[in-house]
Amino acid sequence: MTRADQILILLAVCAMPFLYIHLWFGDEPARLVQIQNGSDTPIFETLQPDRMLRIAGPLGESIIEVSNGRIRFASSPCTTKVCVHSGWLTNAGEFAACLPNRISLTLVGLEPRFDAINF
Amino acid sequence: MTGKLSRLACLLLILGIIGCEPQKHPVHHDQFFAFGTLIDVSLYDVEQPLAESVCRQIEQDFMAMHASWHAWQPGPLASLNRDLSDLEAGSIESSTLPLLMEAHRLSRLSSGLFNPVMGNLIALWGFHDNALPLGTLPDSAAISEFIAQAPSINDIKIDGTRITSKNPSIAYDLGGIAKGYAIDRAIDRLREAGIHNAIVNAGGDLRAIGQHGERPWRIGIRHPRENGILASIEISGDDSVFTSGDYERYFEVDGKRYHHIIDPRTGYPAMETTSVTVIHDNAVTADAAATALFIAGPDQWWSIAKSMGIRYVMLIDTHGTIHINPAMQSRIHFESAVNANLSLSAPLQ
Repeated sequence: MTRADQILILLAVCAMPFLYIHLWFGDEPARLVQIQNGSDTPIFETLQPDRMLRIAGPLGESIIEVSNGRIRFASSPCTTKVCVHSGWLTNAGEFAACLPNRISLTLVGLEPRFDAINF
Repeated sequence: MTGKLSRLACLLLILGIIGCEPQKHPVHHDQFFAFGTLIDVSLYDVEQPLAESVCRQIEQDFMAMHASWHAWQPGPLASLNRDLSDLEAGSIESSTLPLLMEAHRLSRLSSGLFNPVMGNLIALWGFHDNALPLGTLPDSAAISEFIAQAPSINDIKIDGTRITSKNPSIAYDLGGIAKGYAIDRAIDRLREAGIHNAIVNAGGDLRAIGQHGERPWRIGIRHPRENGILASIEISGDDSVFTSGDYERYFEVDGKRYHHIIDPRTGYPAMETTSVTVIHDNAVTADAAATALFIAGPDQWWSIAKSMGIRYVMLIDTHGTIHINPAMQSRIHFESAVNANLSLSAPLQ
């Protein structure tokens, strides 16, 4: 074993605790959003790059904003605006829905922190 | 010797790094809209064709139940309500009878705080509409008149599928337990299909069975006033988690919030509670209890929970104090320090 091998092994050993904590116990930012539009087959979009998505529902067009790996309802034709007030979604497992316009956003990741959210 | 040790160290290192790779989680997710909300079904380690087939069956069940039980759109329940308001005998589909009997049972256990026959009061407040009422309070005289008539399940006689009432103000609104009942039927459907690890989540109220592989299901409870999670619980086995909150459906007049959880004793929204979270082994009981305990408020929730057989309760009042029983406290994990505002009750059982 050369000295370079020993340094490489030492670095790998030092990195292991960080990798365990990060990959097994960390809050994982979402990588994808699942968009459900009525009873259509859900579509998936990435959270990069920043952009605006326009989704047509029965009431009109909901505008979805993707920014810095987050997503939110930027505007909606519904009267209640509950979806807009839900704010930004960041972590896997979070979701927001516009029930009147029948559009929902669910963030998807490899290992979400929660399997379901109660409210 | 040194060579052997080096090879062993390398092997352990490789195994360690392989262990860092998180397992892929074989959870099938399905979503659809029903009961005016988003239904999310999560199934652990179920083959795709079976998962899709059973989820479509559940969706059809939800649609059929929604159509049969709708309180204000034309259908069997609206027809029954018309008959009862005319003091004529009405009838109900035999498939709806178990739900009605559950509604009566839970109303009795809650001392009438969960009242499934005050549909006319809910309509007065404008909550019998998909859109929220905008800035208009109901006529106070109309509310007083309704309260004077005091419709309750004691006014109703059920004989098979024939239903009669002596109180013309009776109108069924099963919104307080319909989701819970439908979730229970969905869990029955999953078990019949041989699926024993699942979550059925109807707009944030859910029942979880089994677990997520080698670990429990992890459920986050959203903070009632802030973005983010207030607390979390783990479920291994079979539990329903239901929350009633003043943030779900409401409107504001002159800066005051009027929400959809109406106190049958006053005719006005129950104003001392922000949210109630209940855990119980069946969803229909958890659903009715969350409503009843919200109305009971910080002074009465404990006695109503005891009479309804509820073991786990967390109530947040409008001052931000968290009222909790010891069993719930031992089960829940708060995200941040909330002990300063924690009020621990006597044990429920």
